[in-house]
Parts: sequence; structure tokens; C-alpha cells
Amino acid sequence: MTRDIQFVLNGKDVAITCDPLKRLLDVLRDDFGLFGTKEACGEGECGACSVLKDSKIITTCMVPMGSVQGCEIMTIEGLRETARGKCIIEAFADGGAVQCGFCIPGMVIAAESLLASNPEPSEEDIRLGISGNLCRCTGYDLIVESIRLAAKRGNGLW
Amino acid sequence: MAKKPIGTPMRRTDALTKASGAEKYLSDMHFDGMLYARMVRSGIPRGTITDISLPPLPDGYRFITYKDIPAGGNNELVMIKKDYRCFAEKDVRYVGETIGLLVGPDRSVLVDLLEQISVSYEEQVPAVTIDEGLACKGGAFVGENNLFCDFTIHKGDIDAVLADAHRIFEDEIITGWQEHVHLETNAALVMPDGDKFVVYASAQCPFYVRKSIAGLLNRPYEDIVVRQTTTGGAFGGKEHFPDVLAGPLLVAANVIKKPIQLVFDRHEDGAYSVKRHPSRTRFKTALDEQGNILGMDIDVVYNAGGYESCSYVVLQRGVFHATGVYNIPASRVRGRAVATNTFPSDAFRGFGAPQTLFAVETHLCHIAAALGVDPLALKSKYFLRQGDPTVTNGHVFEKVVIPEMLDQVLQASGYKQKVAEYKRGSGKGIGISFYNHGGAFTGNGEQMIIKAKARLHKRADGFVEILVGSTEMGQGLQTAFTKIVADTLGIDEDKVLYPNPDTANVADSGPTVASRSTMIVGKILEGAALKMKERWNESEDFFTEDEYKHPEGHPWDQVTFQGDAYIAYGWGVCAVEVEVDPLTFEVVTKGIWSSHDIGVPIDELVVHGQINGGIIQSLGYAAMEKLDFHPKKGFKQVGLSDYIIPTSMDFPSQGASLVHNPYPYGPSGAKGMGELVFNGASAAFIDAVSRAVDKDIRAIPIPPETLTELMA
Amino acid sequence: MVETCYIPKDLAEALRIRKETGAHPIAGGTDLMVSHRRGTGVVPKFPWPVMIITQLKELQKIEEEDGEVSIYAGSTCHEIEVAELVPYQVRKAASLMGAQSLRNLATIGGNICNASPKGDLPVPLIMLDARVELVSATGKRQMLLDEFIDGPKRTKLQDDELLARIIIPQPKAPFTYLWYRKIGTRRANAISKLSMSAAATVDTHGIIVDFRSANGASGPKVARSRAVEETIIGLSVDRLAERLPAFLDAYDVILSPQAMPQYRRSSTRRMLEFFLSEVSKRPDTTIIE
Ligand SMILES: Cc1cc2nc3c(=O)[nH]c(=O)nc-3n(C[C@H](O)[C@H](O)[C@H](O)COP(=O)(O)OP(=O)(O)OC[C@H]3O[C@@H](n4cnc5c(N)ncnc54)[C@H](O)[C@@H]3O)c2cc1C
Ligand code: FES
Ligand code: FES
Repeated sequence: MTRDIQFVLNGKDVAITCDPLKRLLDVLRDDFGLFGTKEACGEGECGACSVLKDSKIITTCMVPMGSVQGCEIMTIEGLRETARGKCIIEAFADGGAVQCGFCIPGMVIAAESLLASNPEPSEEDIRLGISGNLCRCTGYDLIVESIRLAAKRGNGLW
Repeated sequence: MAKKPIGTPMRRTDALTKASGAEKYLSDMHFDGMLYARMVRSGIPRGTITDISLPPLPDGYRFITYKDIPAGGNNELVMIKKDYRCFAEKDVRYVGETIGLLVGPDRSVLVDLLEQISVSYEEQVPAVTIDEGLACKGGAFVGENNLFCDFTIHKGDIDAVLADAHRIFEDEIITGWQEHVHLETNAALVMPDGDKFVVYASAQCPFYVRKSIAGLLNRPYEDIVVRQTTTGGAFGGKEHFPDVLAGPLLVAANVIKKPIQLVFDRHEDGAYSVKRHPSRTRFKTALDEQGNILGMDIDVVYNAGGYESCSYVVLQRGVFHATGVYNIPASRVRGRAVATNTFPSDAFRGFGAPQTLFAVETHLCHIAAALGVDPLALKSKYFLRQGDPTVTNGHVFEKVVIPEMLDQVLQASGYKQKVAEYKRGSGKGIGISFYNHGGAFTGNGEQMIIKAKARLHKRADGFVEILVGSTEMGQGLQTAFTKIVADTLGIDEDKVLYPNPDTANVADSGPTVASRSTMIVGKILEGAALKMKERWNESEDFFTEDEYKHPEGHPWDQVTFQGDAYIAYGWGVCAVEVEVDPLTFEVVTKGIWSSHDIGVPIDELVVHGQINGGIIQSLGYAAMEKLDFHPKKGFKQVGLSDYIIPTSMDFPSQGASLVHNPYPYGPSGAKGMGELVFNGASAAFIDAVSRAVDKDIRAIPIPPETLTELMA
Repeated sequence: MVETCYIPKDLAEALRIRKETGAHPIAGGTDLMVSHRRGTGVVPKFPWPVMIITQLKELQKIEEEDGEVSIYAGSTCHEIEVAELVPYQVRKAASLMGAQSLRNLATIGGNICNASPKGDLPVPLIMLDARVELVSATGKRQMLLDEFIDGPKRTKLQDDELLARIIIPQPKAPFTYLWYRKIGTRRANAISKLSMSAAATVDTHGIIVDFRSANGASGPKVARSRAVEETIIGLSVDRLAERLPAFLDAYDVILSPQAMPQYRRSSTRRMLEFFLSEVSKRPDTTIIE
């Protein structure tokens, strides 16, 4: 059985007819072609599939479409068009945060979610803020530094 | 204006596309008419297939097995050895061995069908552990003794040394499996293209894939075009393993004539992909009355799993690193790779060196504890120096800067003061380790086997394209090569392009393994760039090429394993400080400090990232990455909720420094580093924990439960 | 055609669907969507009809009435973590579940009804004598959470009921000392290997007037024994040390001798011993760490 589901995706009203149990992750990737949201575990552990739902970070591999009705979803493709998104992405590039890149869109989402609630995070705050996002390449140090850099450069953005 | 040093960080060439989510990985690719595939695998560790029962397959669905290999094709994946089969035929050797490939248009139908396929077997008794493999439990299934290889290297007369010893210190060190956990799981896609096939793969070595699978269809290599897709981490896990996906896909695409994609989900990747070799290293170390080390008799066994793949080469590296960074007067190292009914073990960052380096470092700590001296004091007596003989009776050519690195680490960590302050058993401890990593292929592999080439293209539009088979997998190679070429040509980095390799139009620069790419391929690129520079003003577009030149005067005998196993090494020193929670025995890491000699860094930030990531992966290996094996069902911790890798909260930020030590045959003085940085932190961590609790630790990983047992 | 997934607009509709079809609720989905996943691009499949209750506003509040705190079942771990009304140990346990992205989805109702022996929230809740309120189209009933959870993955929830709220009664006197500790598989984003919640009330004369302790991930369900707790209630803190060994032995018996018994037992013993020895020193701080 399919349902009509309306929601806001990266600032635009969208609608889709689909199984309400279909994972938001599959809808973003397969139906909307938003491939920046990655799947690396499919069970909520890694954070690669993170997006913002009503400004809060969630992992889309666990979210059924039926619970997205009327919500605002922001993916990396939306975030990268905003001043905040640009600031974080530039800081990641300058700070050497990116290696293989598979975890990185999710990290950028986590950074936005953190800075939105805590514009001047300590190292500990940052580490806690990205602890749901696994990265196997970087050892996290340069990601932490890059988020600090974004916070500094962001001056007033958050 | 003075030219800036090459190491000055530049923004990585791939940073923005990756951070903005624009980069395409294999699972992001889609072609018209593309089908999906799921693997049907052995559900038992050892036995004979008696029946495969299939549900009726709807239109458009196919089940592909070895029977679909065309006449003239061989059911084998050619890795370093040819023993790995593409599909099991009658017998199966391990849980997860490929039996067939289910192909069709709809992923959910595939799952339904997969659930209805049942394979019946006549089961046999499996051998799973090193001991069971050596004992040929259930009967040998490889040769007469289950050994893929067994060899020994000698330095001096160890028997005489043991006979005269005042004391022989025996020890046994065990390391477990480790899963790569590249965040992007294994994935490949094969599509027919006219008379040829195009293989897209998340892979380290596109030319390996081509070589491995062409024989399945009895085709020349050129008929198989391999295009690397942006690779979301590899760590050795995508050195040979992509063949295991691409092979069956090629056979299927040959039958079905459509593009077919295979992407493992995380549980498949955890349960059914290659791992780091578990190891058991035994020492008999001869000491004199004063506690001086006279010699070491070392017995190394690696659990290679069901097929040999590259285990012989992994083991060689393990054996050649078995005495660590020390000049031990006499040694004998025997290495064996034992066949067991487990998933084949394969390449993983360090390629066999981490196991023996961990073993020798830990063993020396045990001797130090027994003698009542600080491990640092014991170890520093034997540091290799320039000109010293190696374990294979070759020589150390470069200046060994361990003393300089050690100074940096001692300063940064406050090691001496902390050793004085934290008594053994106080719950606090600081440990230190020393390690190296032989650069590039062992022995004469580079000139005899690999014979790497590199090509550059000066385009009419003024851009220079790098055309090599070496791959970016996160380690920063695109950036490093771009810098080397731009620097040599004296042009802006953004005028240099380095697309993901396509075997149809790049030079075979050899596999992206063995920390060889910057040091070896980078140097060849430098050569090609110098040639280009001379012709820079030509108006037409043109190509230049160069090839590997082996430095003179480095004899190596690949039969007796005598001579210069490596011409240059990377070197490292790492200190780790821990605190053991007195209530829960959880280990909290308080500090991590390292110094490395990698020649000259091509990009300081890229190097920094490699150091951080390698050290955390190494600490995970020692501290938490437990991978148990169920004799009948295979790996137990297969998802990321069970196989525990470090988060951002598990380890503190690191202090990292370098000692520059230019390597004359490397580009701008660079040596390899990608694996080096994995090789030592685990030993420093275990040293620290073992001092904190005043117990010798002989096996990793060591989660709190295991520590509790040790304390009981 | 039979519906497989319902999306009720309000609680009344949800209860009607529940009564008519027995559909299982999906709240945050962090247990159900994961345990029934079938891979990339494939819709999760359930052996029974389901209904999504994430959107039900009636289940999303935290309030206080007559000194009792009610946490409605759809409250997320994040909402609990930041709610000042909620007792310390429950907030702490919620704050240490998964990571931020999980805490924004995972609900207390799901954590309780999932009844995993490793679930974190039941541990402090059972220590606090929390009750559950179960509602159906025809009525509601309350029972102790400790009774509601029957065993691993088993509860007393009936086919027509939903968990509406968790009610935390106020202790007779405010606790003077609190303890919570979670030992996870790593330092963040981790499932519990063991968790322990304890509280003590010491009066001005140094008499222990209340003491409670509960353990998670150490048996088929949360381990707690009022009888064992009572062996030290009424005692003066000065006499705690001599009674401690007997108490610890008795406590040990209530832990289930399952996997990793040694580690869970010995860590529990050390933690309890530590907490009580701190209590006997009567420090000024309430939260013992
Ligand atoms: C990455 C990850 C990390 C996790 N970490 C932790 C952790 O640290 N600690 C921990 O305890 N758990 C953890 N969990 C497990 C899980 O997140 C929690 O149990 C969570 O609280 C479940 O809530 P939910 O709303 O998502 O449950 P759901 O999956 O929606 O439901 C779970 C069960 O409860 C039932 N249910 C839900 N609401 C009601 C209701 N109102 N009435 C009746 N039945 C109901 C459902 O039918 C289902 O049987 C983790 C899970 C993941 C994926
Ligand atoms: S893919 Fe969703 S959390 Fe890993
Ligand atoms: S950059 Fe590769 S996983 Fe994070």
C-alpha cells in the first residue's frame, strides 16, 4: 500500500507516493537523486546517512517515510547552499578534515547541528557532537579542528 | 618570492566535492537497464555441496554459478596465487565462500528469492584456529599439512647462542582478526560495452582486477576495462577483494548482457570480506648474565583462512619485521601461513608487519619487566643504526633518526617524569613503542615484478593530466601527485588534473599498496614531469612517460630471502598514556604522542591526517576491535553495533611531529608512510595498560572483560 | 486489501486501529526499523501490521502533577535529557544513549516496550519505583514498570493497548546521594555492557533511611531486590563498612549468572562498594561520580 506524503525538502515543498515504511534514506537517494546522504551501516550506528529533520540531526536509515509527513528535511545538498553550510564545508577543506570522504557529508550535518545549538563549542563539545558519526580515515582530530575553525569563522552565523 | 617548501599544506584536490556531498561513489551510479546482484554463499565452514534448491525465478532473474563460465575460461581469480576460486563448485572451504550470484532488476524481489534459496551440504569437521589448522583437524585440505607456506631466515648461529645462553626467555603473543571498516562497503559494477566489458570498482588496484578476472572469460586483459570509482576507504581491504565481486559480476554480465551492480551491505561486508591475519608469535630469547639480549628464535604463524591469496607475501613482511627496529646479534625467524576454514585473510594496512612488530615490542616489555628495568632502557640498547645488518643480512642504508624522534616524543609526553610518578600497578601508565615499515615491495619486487610506469599528458588547453593506475582512496594521493607534478613543472597546482584511473588509458604504475605510491610512483612522475618540462613549449598536445629505476647495489635473493629486503624504511616512535578505571577496568587514554621519519612530507596536512587515522586504527586494534569466530557460523561481530571501532570520544587529540630525513630516491625526499603510522601505537598502548595494572598482556584486543580476567 | 501500515492522526484513532488490527506501533523506529530491515532500496517487512505513532502529539509531553513526574511514551531521549522535571538518573541515562541523532528519534516508550535486557532507561526508572500507564480504546490501567517488563523482549502489554506514560513517584524524602554509571562497548555511541543506578537517603543523624540500586544488562531483566536493599536501611553510616561484605554477597545473588558473569559481578561489586563508602563519608555533593 502506498501513501501520498508531503514534506519540505531543502526548502521546497515536495510530495511522493510511496510505501510509508520505505526508509527516508532510500527515498532521498533513489527518488530524489540526493546521493550526498550515504549508507554505510543501515542500522543507525555510523551517521553517514544523517540529515536534519526539523533542524535536528537524525539518521535516515531508521526513519520510515510515514513519519516524515509535514516535516522539514535538509540534506547536505540543501545545507551546502546556505551560508552556514558553505562555512563548514570550506573549513573542512582548509582544515584537512576530508580523506576518503564517505563519512564527511554526515559530519558536515553533525557540525551544523552542533553549532546551531552551541556556536562556541569546546573540543569536548565537538567530540561529543560528532560521536554518532564514525570515520575510519581521519582519527577525528582534523575534523574537530575544522569544526572549531568553522565556529571561529562563522562569527554570528549561528 | 622564495618558493614555498613542497610540504606546505594545500587544500586537497578532492576536499570540496567530497565535503559538499557531490562526489559520486559506486553506489551512487546508475545506468539504464541496470540490474542488481546478491551473492549466494556457503553457510557452512567445510563440506561438500549436495544440492542447491532454487525457487522458480521470475522473468528477468538469473542465478549464475561456475557453470556459466564459458568454455576456455577458468574458475579462478588470479591474485598473487591462483588458488582463489570465483565460485565454489563442489566443496566449500569457509562460511561465506561464493556459490552463486542472483541477478535481477528489483532489489526486494532479490531478497525474497535469496531467502528461498537453500543449499544442502555434507558437512566436514572444520579447522578454525591456528592450532586446529596446524593440527590438521578434520584432515588437511591444503597440501599435506595445511601450510600455504613455511620458510625460515637466519642471521648468525642462533642454535649456538641458545645453547650458551644464561637464560632463555620464552613468550607467546597473540593478535586477533581485524576488520577494515572502510566506511564505503565493497562495491562493483560490470557492464558489457560492445565486445568488451567495463568494470567499475571501489578498488585500490584497477590493474589487479583486470588481471584477476580476464581469465574467467578467457579474454586478453585489454578486453576488460577497469575504471576505479572514488573509493570510500580501503586500507588493504580493496586490494584483492574487489576481484571477488568483479569476477562473478563479469561472468553474469557475459551471460545477461546488461550492467549489473553489486553493493555489499554492512553486515555482508563484516561477515563475508577479508580481514587482517590473526597471528601467534613465539619467542625464545637468549639473555646473558647481565640481561643483554644475545639472540632471538622466533616462530611466526599467521591464520590465512581458506585461500592463500596474498598470504605468502604478507607473511614475508611479517617475518622481515619480526625483530623490529633492533639490531639483534643472532636470529632465526620461521614463518608459516596456515590454512583454516575461515574467510581468507588478506592485506590490511601494515601488511603483516603490525603483528610481528606488536609481538616483538610487547615481548621486550615482558623481558624488561622480568629484569626490573624500564622498557625504554632495554630497547634503546639495540636500536638499529645506519650500516647495521638487518634480519635478512642486508643493511640499513639511511641515517636512522630514532634518537631525534625519541627526543621529540619524550619532550612532548613527559615520559620520564610520568614513569617515575606512576608506579607499576598504580592504575596509571605510560608506554612507548618503536617501529618501522619497509618502503615499497619487498626485495626486488619493484624491478622484477611490478616494473611501474607513469604517464603525463600535456593537453592543448594547457592542463596536465596524470595518467597512472595508482588510486586515491582517502590517503591523499591525488593531492600528493598533483603537488609533485606541479612542483616539478613549476606550474600552478590547479593546472594539474588527476582523474580516477581507467585501465584503457593510463600507464600501469603498479598497485596502490605497500606505501609505495608516493615514494615510487611519485618519483617516476617526477621523471615524466622533467621530460615534459623540456618540451613544455611545444604547441601540440603530447605525452611523456617514465619508468621505475632501481637504485644500484641492493642485492636480494628471493629464494633464500637474503639481502636488502627494503632499501628504505619509514620509522616511528609513539607514546601512549592511559588510566585504568578502578571500578570498571575501562581504559581511558589520556595522551598520544608520536614522531615519524617519512623522509620529507609532500603535504604536512595530508601527513597529519594519515598519522592521526593510522594511530587511532592501531589503538582500536589493541583496545576494542574484538572479532570472535563461531566455528560453524563464522564471524560474530559483523555489524557496526557489534564490531566496535573508535568514535571521536574514545581517544584524545594527538601530538604528532616529524623528523625530516630526505630519501635520495624519493620525490622531494619523500618515503612511504601510509602503513608505518599503523604499526606501533597498539604496542605503546598495551605497554601503558600493562604497566598501569602491573600484568603482562599477551593477546589483543583487550576489552575490560579480558582485563578483569587478567586481574582475577 | 489489508493495510500493512497505518498512520493514525490522533491517539483515539491509534487505539481504535490497535483494537481492530493489533497493529504494532512504530515510535522512533530505532529498534523496529533496524531489526526488520532488508537492505538498501528494500522496504522493511514486518510479520504483523504496524502503525506509525511518531506524530501523536498526545504522547509527547513531560509534566508534573501531585509531585509525580509523567513522561509520555513518545518523548524522545533528547527531550528527556533536557527536561529539568525528570530525576537525575533518568536524564543521565537518556543522555548516554546512542548519539545525538539517535536521541532525537528514540523514545522512552520504545525503549521500555522493546524490553531489551540492555535497555538503559528501565534501570533508573525501576530503581525509582516508576509505574506505567497502559491505555486502550476501552480504558486504562497502571502497574509497576518492574512488573510490566516480564523478561527479555517480553512485556505485559496487551494486543489492544499502548503505553501512554511512565509515572515517577516522589521518594518519601529527597535522595541525598545519587549514582549512575553506564559501561558501554566504548566511550560514546555504545550499547550497555552493564549499567547501574543507585540512590541513598541519609538523615541528619547519619541513618540510612532509604537505599535503592538497580542493574541493567546483567540478566534477563533489570536486577533489583528490595529485600537486599532493606538489609542496610535503618543502619547508621558508621556501621556500613562492617555490613558491606554481607550486603555485597547478597546483592551478587540477584545478578543473573549469564554471559560475562565475572566482569558484571565484579564491576557491580566495586561500584556499589565505592558508592556506599562515599555515602558513609557523607559528602556535601549529591551526585557521586
Ligand atoms: C545506533 C543505536 C544506538 C542505540 N543505543 C542505545 C542505548 O545506548 N541504550 C538503549 O537503551 N538503547 C539503545 N538503542 C536501542 C533503541 O534506540 C532504544 O531502545 C529506543 O529507545 C527505542 O525507541 P523507539 O521509539 O525508536 O522504538 P521503536 O523501534 O519505535 O519501538 C520499539 C518497540 O516498542 C514498541 N512501542 C513503541 N512505542 C510504544 C508505545 N507507546 N506503546 C506500546 N509499544 C510501543 C514497538 O512496537 C516496538 O516493539 C540504540 C539503537 C540504535 C539503532
Ligand atoms: S547508514 Fe544510517 S547510520 Fe549508518
Ligand atoms: S574520511 Fe573516510 S571515513 Fe571519514
